Amino acid sequence: MIELEFKKEELPLVKKAICNSIRERIEKFNFNGAVINLSGGVDSSLVTKLTAVAIGNERTYALILPEEGITPKEDVEDAIKLCKELNISYEVISINDPLKAFESSLRNLKGDIEWGITNLKPRVRMIYAYFYANAKKLLVVGTSNKTELLLGYGTKYGDLAADIYPIGDLYKTQVWQLAEYVSIPTDIVKKKPSAGLWKGQTDEEEIGYTYYQIDRVLFCLVELELSVRETSDFLNISEYAVNDLYERIVKNEHKRRTPTITKISRMCLDKDWKYPVERF
Amino acid sequence: MKKLKVFLAQLSTKLGDVKGNEEKILEALELAKKERVSLFVTPELSTLGYGSGDIYLDKVNENLESLERIKAKIDDFYSIIGYVEKDSHGFFYNSACLISKKNIVGNYRKVQLVNYRLFDEKRYFKRGSKLPVFDIGNVKIGILICEDLWFPEPSRVMALKGADLIVVLGASPFERFKKEIWENFLIQRARDNIIPFVFCNQAGCQDGVTYLGYSMYVSAGGKILKTGKLLEEDYITVEVDLEESKRLRRRDTRLRELRREILEELIKAYEEMEDDRT
Repeated sequence: MIELEFKKEELPLVKKAICNSIRERIEKFNFNGAVINLSGGVDSSLVTKLTAVAIGNERTYALILPEEGITPKEDVEDAIKLCKELNISYEVISINDPLKAFESSLRNLKGDIEWGITNLKPRVRMIYAYFYANAKKLLVVGTSNKTELLLGYGTKYGDLAADIYPIGDLYKTQVWQLAEYVSIPTDIVKKKPSAGLWKGQTDEEEIGYTYYQIDRVLFCLVELELSVRETSDFLNISEYAVNDLYERIVKNEHKRRTPTITKISRMCLDKDWKYPVERF
Repeated sequence: MKKLKVFLAQLSTKLGDVKGNEEKILEALELAKKERVSLFVTPELSTLGYGSGDIYLDKVNENLESLERIKAKIDDFYSIIGYVEKDSHGFFYNSACLISKKNIVGNYRKVQLVNYRLFDEKRYFKRGSKLPVFDIGNVKIGILICEDLWFPEPSRVMALKGADLIVVLGASPFERFKKEIWENFLIQRARDNIIPFVFCNQAGCQDGVTYLGYSMYVSAGGKILKTGKLLEEDYITVEVDLEESKRLRRRDTRLRELRREILEELIKAYEEMEDDRT
């Protein structure tokens, strides 16, 4: 038995720690509130709710940014429903126009345009979030979870762009548990996870394993510090699969960091210098 | 029954906010005064706030000036304040000083600095090597700082030196199962040495790290008799029973049965382990 799932009595503390950390950053840096890109999936719904609990509904803003033709209608409906339920301000803005503008100006570019455009979608959403944040002096609250961060399942400067990751230390399995605990609507919790970048996309199909398998493997590798072989033996999962996930973790370190600085001085800012994000 | 009234100021201190931390400590001191306590305790590095970062290096002098101001306000009872100490060589220590009647009457330097995972204390501090016990009135106390408690030896030394109570200052972050870890360690050390413990831990949140709070009083018999709030600031007043350990030790003879040969074996095994490492 691994302790991936939270015990019932852990959930109130986990919720409190997350809410405290959101509130701390907002208050310390005098933000007026927070903005979240709300997709209608479980991660962003949970973060929106926890933010509203932490700093109040009147200071929490959600941006619902569908791509017409790609984003399922129910996602937008679920997102709107949640905002109404939480009594928070929200806006629905289609990202089709800016996407079209980029596409037409990049028409003559050679290369993997399609992949560029795929990643452009979360990047356009990021621009909206930061525009909104600047205009209203808000903190951008990210929605990445630990499973995604470990596997690098996110777009750099897209959905990974945020000021804080309040659920960044929770595996997807734990996100579901916490979402249920804070009463996120069942329709949202039970939904098949998707990055929503193309029609019918699901995380599990794209990654190649189910979250049940992924989280167990990651938990063994990261939390229990087992080797690839030990993890494979312990979970009775092929060594090939475990190694595949392990390699993804290592390969994606760059997504969990600020850009690497070439060291020249005695005090290189990403290597020799160690300041917390703090203000007094 | 001989008791000691102790005030545990479970503060949410902020790294580098020397002025703000000082205000919090002074406010807590005022409350302790009203409660007519005999001993007042803050968390680890309370003048500067705990939270691994180079800010420690920038603000040592400010923290020492702040300690001077705090010291001047302590007249009615003994107080243990966690702070950054600077020695004549310019080295820093993660220390706790014992203050009475506006004077520093004792000082303790953390002996087991933490340098794993998020902790980076050796980057800033020199480790202490002494395990004194201090007289406060008719009571002998030992002081430990956080990780010191996770090793069995420091508490054992203080118990053998006749401590009636061990006071632990902490800045322990919240993570899964941390609450149980502290409960277990404190209960175990109390049982090992048949001595009561009080633990005063930092609370609040800094840069994504939430501190556990959960200060507590564990009796000489290893029972948790009072706890502070989890994660949040709290003030806890406890009446420590100073006679229980003597009562228990009449029939629980473990401490007096401690054997020199075993301690010598321990040293020998330690030296062999050290040699193995090189």
